[in-house]
Amino acid sequence: MRNWRTAVIPPAMEPVIFFVAFGIGFGGYIEDLDYRGVAINYATYVSAGLIAYTGFGTPYYEALYAAYVRMFYQKTWDGILATQVELPSVVWGEILWGAVRGMVNISIVSAVIAVFDLLGVVEVKVQFLVFMPFLGFVAGCAFASFALIFTAIVPAIDHMNYPVFLIGWPLSLVSNTFFPIEPQSQALWALMQLNPVYQLAECARGLLVLGNPGPHLIGLLGATALFLVPCTLLSVRLTRRRVLGD
Amino acid sequence: MTTAILAATGLTKSYGNRVVVDHIDLSCRRGTVLGLLGPNGAGKTTTLRMLYGFIPPDDGSIYYAGKRFSENRAEAKRLIGVCTQDDSLDYDFTVAQNLLIYASYFRPRVDDLKARVADLLDGFELAPYANASPHVLSGGFIRRLLIARSIVHQPRVLFLDEPTTGLDPSARLDVWELIDRMRAEGLAIVLTTHYMDEAERLSDELLVIHEGRDVAHGEPHHVIDTVLGDHVIIVPRGEPARDEIATWLQARGAEQVATVLGELRVPVSKEDLVELTARFTDATWQVRPPNLDDLFIALARRNGRFE
Repeated sequence: MRNWRTAVIPPAMEPVIFFVAFGIGFGGYIEDLDYRGVAINYATYVSAGLIAYTGFGTPYYEALYAAYVRMFYQKTWDGILATQVELPSVVWGEILWGAVRGMVNISIVSAVIAVFDLLGVVEVKVQFLVFMPFLGFVAGCAFASFALIFTAIVPAIDHMNYPVFLIGWPLSLVSNTFFPIEPQSQALWALMQLNPVYQLAECARGLLVLGNPGPHLIGLLGATALFLVPCTLLSVRLTRRRVLGD
Repeated sequence: MTTAILAATGLTKSYGNRVVVDHIDLSCRRGTVLGLLGPNGAGKTTTLRMLYGFIPPDDGSIYYAGKRFSENRAEAKRLIGVCTQDDSLDYDFTVAQNLLIYASYFRPRVDDLKARVADLLDGFELAPYANASPHVLSGGFIRRLLIARSIVHQPRVLFLDEPTTGLDPSARLDVWELIDRMRAEGLAIVLTTHYMDEAERLSDELLVIHEGRDVAHGEPHHVIDTVLGDHVIIVPRGEPARDEIATWLQARGAEQVATVLGELRVPVSKEDLVELTARFTDATWQVRPPNLDDLFIALARRNGRFE
């Protein structure tokens, strides 16, 4: 807890900066968008996207970098595994910790959105902001378990660039976070439904704009389960090989 | 003789086609130290990792307090303490918190944990740093904290993996004292080290592993006698008959002729020493009892790692 400022403030400020830059700066040049029959300004559109971006990025990067440091450099995992705690519990600990960090950062982003709503920059149903951290927690478990696969296999911390730039960035951008995507192909549309970042963005947007998540709450739970179960099983298997040498 | 609290039989582990540990038997009794020795790559670490449950053996059995480890894993892990060579302290916590939090990973919970932690802080002379970050500790005190942490839950078997590596001589002696005290308190200790004087002084029994196999085990003197013999002669670099002596000894079956900084070091039997003295009357050499350094060099030479 001694390092809470360093741990919380910079990561939480990132989406705020994005919000100001894209939502307010860039949004000034964009006309209103039609969201399920309701006209919304771009800043309002992006506010839900930032919740999804934060809900994805925080647990994903936490489970990539911070978990790698704990596992490889600090040997924290070795210390814990020398007790009665077994590897699946350590992996679950990392998943839940990443999701909790996501919750904390989404809470900060939600507070910022509430302030912008008061200022009239965005128009959201503020009372639904209270649900955002919980949605983020659910999806965050999936993102952290996904990231731990890379944590288990990268040869060195420099190789994190691959999951960050080739997977993390594209995944967070093609998910209706900063701009809407309407795929023409059925296959791409189906693939998009399986993406928890997309489901989180749409679920948050549905709640904040309409007060109704529509089918995306079920979509979020389904996509999370589809990610979480295989990714957790795989990350336990891969970290067992890496950490225990078995 | 007391029953062994730790007993392992036929431990075997392979990676691919390579047998890393090959049918190792070992045991450790209450209040004794078992020294596990061998050159790098001998299979010590793999043996330890099997013993404390990081990896399962391909073959063989491990028993703690008479119960099979694989069938009573949680119960057995409650009986063991592990102090790995690496510093795995949590630097977000204070010295005392490192002990408290580590203890919280064990079930059943440690009785009167606060008193236990206070005792350990006093006993390991860590009390002045109880509320400080481990960052302020010297290397010797970090090692003390790691050892204290590994016994916070009052285990019955303690694994110490190279506990004095990287410490200055004074800190090493302090750790020796701690190990001796823990042994006196009844802990069964399995110790790996590269320091031969450490193994010789601290161990009640030794197990020497080479290429995954048990090459000698028993009391330190017995182990040295088994592998090396009665004496070691040291022929200095400048001795004119040095090469001739080496050739003569090799012809008599000496396999472990080592050269260290130009000195010839050869384990010899009493009989060979008598004949050597009679044959090379003008040559000069030193004679001393063999020690574990000689054993290590001999094993490393067999492995082609030391020339």
